[in-house]
Amino acid sequence: MDDAPLAGIRVIDLSRVFAMPFAASYLADLGAEVIKVDTCDTRFMDTTRILNGPYPDNDPGELYWERGGTFQTLNRGKRSLTLDLRSEAAIEVLKRLVRLSDVVMENFTPRVMGRFGLDYANLKAVKPDLIMVSNTGYGHSGPWSNFGAMASALEPTHGTGAFMGYLTDDGKGSQPRADVPNKIGNSYSDFLASLTAELAVLASLMHRSRTGKGMWIDLAMYQVGVSFVGEGVLDYAFNGRRTRRMGNRHESMAPHGCYPCVGDDEWVAIAVRTDSDWAAMCQAMENPSLAVDTRFADAKSRLQRQRELDAIVSAWTETQDQYQVMERLQGVGVPAGPVLNARGLLTDPHIRERRLFEPADHPEVTGLGRREYLGRGWKLSGSEVKVRGPAPMLGEGNEYVLGEIMGLDAAEIQALTDEGAIGEQPIGATTPGAVSLERQVELGWTVSYDPGFRQILGGAG
Amino acid sequence: MPLGLLEGIRVLDLGPEIAAPFCSRLLADYGADVVKVEPPNVGDPARHMGPFAGDEPHLEKSIPFLYLNTNKRGITLDIGSDAGREVLADLVGSVDVVVQGFPPNESEALGLDFKTLSEANPGVVVTSITPFGLSGPYRDYSATDIVTCAISGLMYHSGDSNREPLRNALSQSLYVAGANAAVATVAALFHRMATGQGQQVDVSVVECLATHLVQAAPFYDYMGAIKGRRQVRGSGFEELMPARDGYVVPSIQGSQPWPVVAELIGEEALLEERFGSGAGRLEFGEELKALLVEGLAQWDRKPLFQASGERRLVFGMAQDAGDLFDCPHLRERGFFVEVDHPAAGKVEYPGMGPRLSEGSFDVRYPAPLLGQHNREVYREDLGYGVGLLASLLGAEVI
Repeated sequence: MDDAPLAGIRVIDLSRVFAMPFAASYLADLGAEVIKVDTCDTRFMDTTRILNGPYPDNDPGELYWERGGTFQTLNRGKRSLTLDLRSEAAIEVLKRLVRLSDVVMENFTPRVMGRFGLDYANLKAVKPDLIMVSNTGYGHSGPWSNFGAMASALEPTHGTGAFMGYLTDDGKGSQPRADVPNKIGNSYSDFLASLTAELAVLASLMHRSRTGKGMWIDLAMYQVGVSFVGEGVLDYAFNGRRTRRMGNRHESMAPHGCYPCVGDDEWVAIAVRTDSDWAAMCQAMENPSLAVDTRFADAKSRLQRQRELDAIVSAWTETQDQYQVMERLQGVGVPAGPVLNARGLLTDPHIRERRLFEPADHPEVTGLGRREYLGRGWKLSGSEVKVRGPAPMLGEGNEYVLGEIMGLDAAEIQALTDEGAIGEQPIGATTPGAVSLERQVELGWTVSYDPGFRQILGGAG
Repeated sequence: MPLGLLEGIRVLDLGPEIAAPFCSRLLADYGADVVKVEPPNVGDPARHMGPFAGDEPHLEKSIPFLYLNTNKRGITLDIGSDAGREVLADLVGSVDVVVQGFPPNESEALGLDFKTLSEANPGVVVTSITPFGLSGPYRDYSATDIVTCAISGLMYHSGDSNREPLRNALSQSLYVAGANAAVATVAALFHRMATGQGQQVDVSVVECLATHLVQAAPFYDYMGAIKGRRQVRGSGFEELMPARDGYVVPSIQGSQPWPVVAELIGEEALLEERFGSGAGRLEFGEELKALLVEGLAQWDRKPLFQASGERRLVFGMAQDAGDLFDCPHLRERGFFVEVDHPAAGKVEYPGMGPRLSEGSFDVRYPAPLLGQHNREVYREDLGYGVGLLASLLGAEVI
């Protein structure tokens, strides 16, 4: 562990759902000891433990709260301490643990943390150099501070929709328009908050090492989201421009877009940056007359004739598979790549060789065996950073944390158990009904499924 | 001003464009001393990216450049020339971090790889941001934002299920990669405090985006199912839906029961029992959507958003750049900071994402003019004599 950047750092993770749990899991990858504060009462449990799935072969099983793939991804490498925060004894335990820790991460509303007496002022009193991240939709100050938020509704609120949307062509020769905002998939705002928290915690650890001072990080997902589209907001400040949507097109590159390939819902993205890219592309398309066609001779003329260009490019791409198009265009130096879905990503030769997915071995009782989880988009040559294990089973770390770290004796631990403050079994658990994959396809929750996916993944090595 | 969290950390930003400059801008926001190195005469390619202040193409008025390079000092250097390379070695010797976004083969040819740079400074952290990373079969492939977005898997999930995948807003892949690079760089710096060792930070834009697939990846790995783009059928909740003056996102994900949602939208029929359960809303999705459209047509975005928040619901609304710039909430949080740039003029810039109890966001410098700090950095920081500086200038190395 000495080779890990955060060896010896202890993090208490009080957070739920996506953004902060994912950030805390990266701190675990970096070698911190991360203690996830769980609860046995399913009404207050992290919803990703009980609602999100997906389950192995779509079977929740008896221990479904240990078997969700999204929960596992977001909580790998942590320990689990169950504490019912409605109990005064549990709050006392938590405060004693804070005194022995370095970082606290939470995403309750300001009201809830205050009610538990776990706000920064209270925790700073027990641990003066504490580093604490409070992640909320809108932050702890300002008129919207008590508003709740979920990433799917927050994303357009912080402005991404002003800068993305489909072009709609009326087919009558007028300029296509992009009046309707759209969204990035997969809870985009959560990941911006997650990165922001990681950076703030690491910078605060540097600062603490040099000054001895702690830090409170008031992280507003809304504000963070705006900072990622800051150039668009600055354009308004300078020029009064409110939106800039252009479908899959680009201000200065043409052709530029997402083109159909052989197969259902298979696409390739292509970006022609320069005239020499265009000449190379014509060569790759084996269309020498196009290369000398004066209608497309320079960027300006290509930008004016994008509809014609897109038709020509599509006619070429739709006879090939997405990797063929990539190989041909990359072979002549033109940026192109398949629009991969999860199967494509999990089996892509480059992604495999880079080992983006990292294995974790699960306890036998979960029936999960060995699985692979998304690692990080970066590698450090001189530090040990890795997925250190699966997500913890509910309360698996109770004895370790209470006994070994905090020095409680067996009688004290028993008293907490008797009081219901700690435990290892969920209360109020009802096994979720599994919706069959056929039905999920009908409902549009999934596009399709491969009954033979294991062979496909196994073949990818 | 309170001490910056990274005060005293010296960073060399070799650019180009968006990802590496955003990484070093984040480090600068936390107080690091960042020197931006640009090629003489033409500058960073980002200087040629629009839109421009006043919509007037100009080397000092690119809005992406102005946004990405606040709080940095700027110098020029031809790192491709022999003399430039010697100067670069001096610069590298004076810093803790080098951030660069050149393709791997170009990096090696220019001597910007970790192996070469660590000869000039054994403790240096070299952060390299490339589309595919420094290894693997696609290492030397070319890419732009739409291509990295595509290969990462994020684009497949963006947009509507009945249309093609949709490119994300404003070069987001490069911003996300820059933020990841800042995280990894500070992790390497923190580790260096314990070990004294520098290291290579290898950031792949594609892989940074791919880590967002925390649902789609296990969907396939656990059960072979492909998650797709947003469905256009269904009840309309959690999706962008038309209101009177724009788009909103009605949501049932708040902590409140269904009747609170139904009453807010204001269509009486929504209170019918068949819509009261998740199963019912699924079964009668199309009818629900029709009622939702009618109800939302009575609302403007902002009053609906306000009413939702007051009822502990979590509706969203599509805001444009003007809404964000005038947002009373961001204003009260002090998000905007006035910056006076000698060529582009004085406007308010969006500030830093998080708020910190110790340390505040502070613009020490607007984005540098091309070569603005040559004298200061070469004379004062590196101690070059007047004669040496003049000969470098004469040879157009600077």
